[in-house]
Amino acid sequence: MKTLIEAKNLSKVYPSGGEDTVALKDINVAITQGESVAIIGKSGSGKSTLMHILATLDRPTDGELMFAGRHAHNLTPAQVDHVRNKRFGFVFQQFFLNARNTVLENVTLPLVIAGVPAAERNRKGLAMLENVGLLDKAKKRAGELSGGQKQRLCIARALITKPLVIFADEPTGNLDTENGAIVTELLFKLHKQHNITLVIVTHDPDLAKLCDRSILVKDGRIVEAA
Amino acid sequence: MKFFDIVKISQKNLLRAKLRTVLTVGAVFIGALTLSLTNGLGNGVKAYVNDQLGNVGAEGTLIVRVKQSQQNPVSTDVSEYNPDRQVGTFNISLLDETDLEKIAQIEGVLEVIPDNLPQLDYITAGDKKFEVAAYQNIEGLNLTMTAGDTVNEDVPNGITVPNKYVAPLGYNSAEAMLGTTATLGYKDANGKTKNYEVTIVGIQEQSLLGNSNIVVSQTLAEKIVKDQTDGVASLSGKYVDSTIKYDPNLSKEELDDLKQRFNDAGYGAQTVQDQIGIISTVIDTILIILNVFGLIALLAAGFGIVNTQLMSVNERTSEIGLMKALGASRKQIFLMFSIEAASIGFWGASLGAAVGIVIGTIVSDFASKDFLKDFVGFRLVAFPPLPTLAVILGIMFLAFLAGALPSLKASRLDPIKALRYE
Repeated sequence: MKTLIEAKNLSKVYPSGGEDTVALKDINVAITQGESVAIIGKSGSGKSTLMHILATLDRPTDGELMFAGRHAHNLTPAQVDHVRNKRFGFVFQQFFLNARNTVLENVTLPLVIAGVPAAERNRKGLAMLENVGLLDKAKKRAGELSGGQKQRLCIARALITKPLVIFADEPTGNLDTENGAIVTELLFKLHKQHNITLVIVTHDPDLAKLCDRSILVKDGRIVEAA
Repeated sequence: MKFFDIVKISQKNLLRAKLRTVLTVGAVFIGALTLSLTNGLGNGVKAYVNDQLGNVGAEGTLIVRVKQSQQNPVSTDVSEYNPDRQVGTFNISLLDETDLEKIAQIEGVLEVIPDNLPQLDYITAGDKKFEVAAYQNIEGLNLTMTAGDTVNEDVPNGITVPNKYVAPLGYNSAEAMLGTTATLGYKDANGKTKNYEVTIVGIQEQSLLGNSNIVVSQTLAEKIVKDQTDGVASLSGKYVDSTIKYDPNLSKEELDDLKQRFNDAGYGAQTVQDQIGIISTVIDTILIILNVFGLIALLAAGFGIVNTQLMSVNERTSEIGLMKALGASRKQIFLMFSIEAASIGFWGASLGAAVGIVIGTIVSDFASKDFLKDFVGFRLVAFPPLPTLAVILGIMFLAFLAGALPSLKASRLDPIKALRYE
């Protein structure tokens, strides 16, 4: 299996006053294409920061990040934008939907950014909404959806560019048990169907168990990888 | 992102905070309306003045007077009496035959035509007599005619009259009056009333800059003035001013040199354009002052745009963060907010120009029917399309500049910080 993302000796330090806050230290992670990885740990352990760095949203203070065999810090800003747009999909705990826009407009946002013509992106958007069971809601405003529906919409948005990796930051964190289960099921169904790599940050042990392996982060270090 | 999509998103975002957008657009609108109206007024008046220039001055002519010793009306100096100086009413120094000969000698002068000012009492074409004043014809004078032609020196008793005389003299139309005869009445040097029969060869259009008097040929003007001044030493052979002709192909520098030669010889020479230039300068000054008010309003509106956009960037921090996480470039984010700012300028400026044109047109129509009804062809407010477009584009650019700082702030947002913002 091919290594998709690899971190070598990563560290992240936030300068705060005279004393630096160490968020991550000596992190070594390799994520293979097609696997599902859970990053677990307590609040403030650094697990979200790790995911952000792996997803090129944040920059490490030290160490190397490789994406598909290339050094991430050698990528130009345009290449980073391209990777975020085409190769990665994001699902956030807080959804980050535009409540006033329609469900269809929200799901097609990555295609708008990519410069895809309107007809094509609406076609793809509707197909994606059908995938997550929201086709009948296409013309509704995103703000009118329930929490579970919102997260399904986010998953559809993350998938619309057919990415290699989906980064999910506490995807079930804002959902009740029933909706959490639906979203979890959907994520893993797509992961298996399309061989999409899944990186899930969570402190839900049940969700972590569903993944191929878990990485436990404590005080900025990986203490257990299984 | 496609440019069209960015524009669409920008317009949508503007509509999200409707009241705020309306208020900011309103501020731009006030500035744009002021600029639009002042420019419209300026264009209208100046277009008319330029149009009428030809009506008062023939090309290649200068009006020459003796340099006045008391130019300053509030001067406290008293000049010593000079027996050689010829003076008329209000102590204006006059030109006499010696002066005319001297002027004719000045290099560049082709012809000297002393300005005869006949003092007419009335004009009549039947029973009723009407007050009238007359100018002496200047060849090449480009009067706008309602009917007929300008005065021709080959027809010494041909005159042209302003169209306001058509009805009082008993004619239905300017055309009906053409070719008819009328009688001019004046008093000679002894106070005896004399009549002179003339033919009406043309009817002049009314104008803002003079042109409201009848025009008589040089021959006729000279004859009447001679009748009126013969034997009166203080008036005979004396002129307030004289028209001189020069080569109309002279460059501006050569013309300035010619004027200087007059100045050196003790005369003041002005083209009609010089005289109207004073009017233009006054109009320009007033317009500049009004435009400054418009620009101040726009400057204030610019700060309004900065404020609005900064608020917008703050409100949409997480949205910007998401867009960046989804692969939007700094350039795209900058463009999105810049187009928003420029759109505020565009809507404000377009509305300002549109309302300005509506108001200007209503005022013009009212003015043309009311206090300017005698001035045919005078649009008080005019809106040439190119300057109007330039004003709109200029305001859009100003709005873009005002939005640059917030746009830059948005484009530089770190996606992580922006996503944590909520």
